[in-house]
Amino acid sequence: MAAIVAEDLRKTYKGRAVVDGINLTVYAGEVLGVLGVNGAGKTTTVEMIAGLRRPTSGRVTVLGLDPLLDRARVRQVLGVQLQESYLHGALTVTELVDVYRSFYPDPVPTAELIGRVGLQEQAGTRFEKLSGGQRQRVSIALALAGKPRAVILDELTTGLDPRARRKLWALVEAMRDDGVTVVLVSHAMDEVEHLCDRVAILDEGRIVALDKPRNITTDTDTQNLEAAFLALTGRELDEEQPLEEYA
Amino acid sequence: MSIMTATDIVAARPGPRSWLKLTAAELKMVVRDTSGLIVPIALPVLILVMSASTASQQVVANGRTALDVFVLPLVTAIILSTICIINMPSFLAYYRHAGILRRLAVTPASPAMVLVAHTVVSLVQALVGMCVALALAVLAFDANAPVHLWAAIGIFALSLVAFYGIGMVVASVAPSPNSAVAIGLALFFAIGALGGMFGGTGNLPEALETVGEWLPFGATVQALGAAWAGAAIDSVHVISLAVSAVVGIAVAAVAFRWD
Repeated sequence: MAAIVAEDLRKTYKGRAVVDGINLTVYAGEVLGVLGVNGAGKTTTVEMIAGLRRPTSGRVTVLGLDPLLDRARVRQVLGVQLQESYLHGALTVTELVDVYRSFYPDPVPTAELIGRVGLQEQAGTRFEKLSGGQRQRVSIALALAGKPRAVILDELTTGLDPRARRKLWALVEAMRDDGVTVVLVSHAMDEVEHLCDRVAILDEGRIVALDKPRNITTDTDTQNLEAAFLALTGRELDEEQPLEEYA
Repeated sequence: MSIMTATDIVAARPGPRSWLKLTAAELKMVVRDTSGLIVPIALPVLILVMSASTASQQVVANGRTALDVFVLPLVTAIILSTICIINMPSFLAYYRHAGILRRLAVTPASPAMVLVAHTVVSLVQALVGMCVALALAVLAFDANAPVHLWAAIGIFALSLVAFYGIGMVVASVAPSPNSAVAIGLALFFAIGALGGMFGGTGNLPEALETVGEWLPFGATVQALGAAWAGAAIDSVHVISLAVSAVVGIAVAAVAFRWD
């Protein structure tokens, strides 16, 4: 069953297509990786799925609901961890979790949420005093506060040390075991290969491959996803899309 | 786990407990950012102390002194304007700039929750600022209550909403926290100067004096002064405050952005 559907999704800024006709179905309980260089349209795509941006054309549904028209209902079932979003800096981890979980009718208990992301020792620490990895974990805890059925994780582990990354990987695996649909936007090939059932590779706002990681490498006659990515896009994953290709 | 379909999903809005939690969180943010409390509380107290000893000796009308009729209304206008035009918009602009509003936008919280929380926090700050100033004025300088107490309370409430409306416009249009502070300060000094913050408005050109009385700062000072002295409140001042409130909130409702 489809959890998230994007049909001919387009977003243009000043006449430039940042997302250029994306068709995508994410199935319930699946972990879908979205790979692409900076500027490939990953974040714009997931922000349209989250209802934060209005598509120029095309359609998105989340569990059959339009994120813009059925905003209140979609917010109940979709958890979102945004790339680089800050939170109330002077509030402690516990205070933040308490506030965000109060938005939902049947939230995960505060202590359980904090425990899930391994921040028990930092529960009384202000957000502004946390490290980058700890802040990321708070952000994920907030995305999970309402027991979502689908989650968008944008750059889940960017900038984190290997130990912190492994902890978050375990969290995503636990979500999958729980039947939660996950859209994982990432730069990290190892992360995508490890966690994702399928991968969508984006380049210049278009999907150039959408399949299981193994099938993509087979189809491109390459040894791993990194080589497949290079073969499909002509770019290394850590390079940025040239400036003139940005909106 | 069973698969959820669209018909299973109910649009549950955050309840009163959630509104209270968010408001309490915003209050903690303000209290923990102690520098933000200095201007709305310390500045009016400073002005009060500098003017009160002389003003408290000059009886103006109905046993009310210049401290009651001129200084306390001025201090009230300063407290309300600094909180609503400078502090509140800079907080909201910072929230937008840092992505906090954007983060809230992907939850069931609505923009109204953030705005109401900030309204309540602004009201609490204003009441604290007023309590500090009035306690000092009464205990140290024998200040008197307004002759028309309820009218003064009504003007205070209307002024708060009027200043808040202007502040919301600033918060809506300012692209960054720095610009919110800059716009807020420019507005504060402009309407303050025209409303008598730097001395009597009698020295201003007549046209500016009239405009100053129509703007919320001057209207607040004039209307509160009248209530304190026991004089009739000019309807022009009440109407100007009401118009500022309605226009400000309407513009903010249309222009407020999450990012």
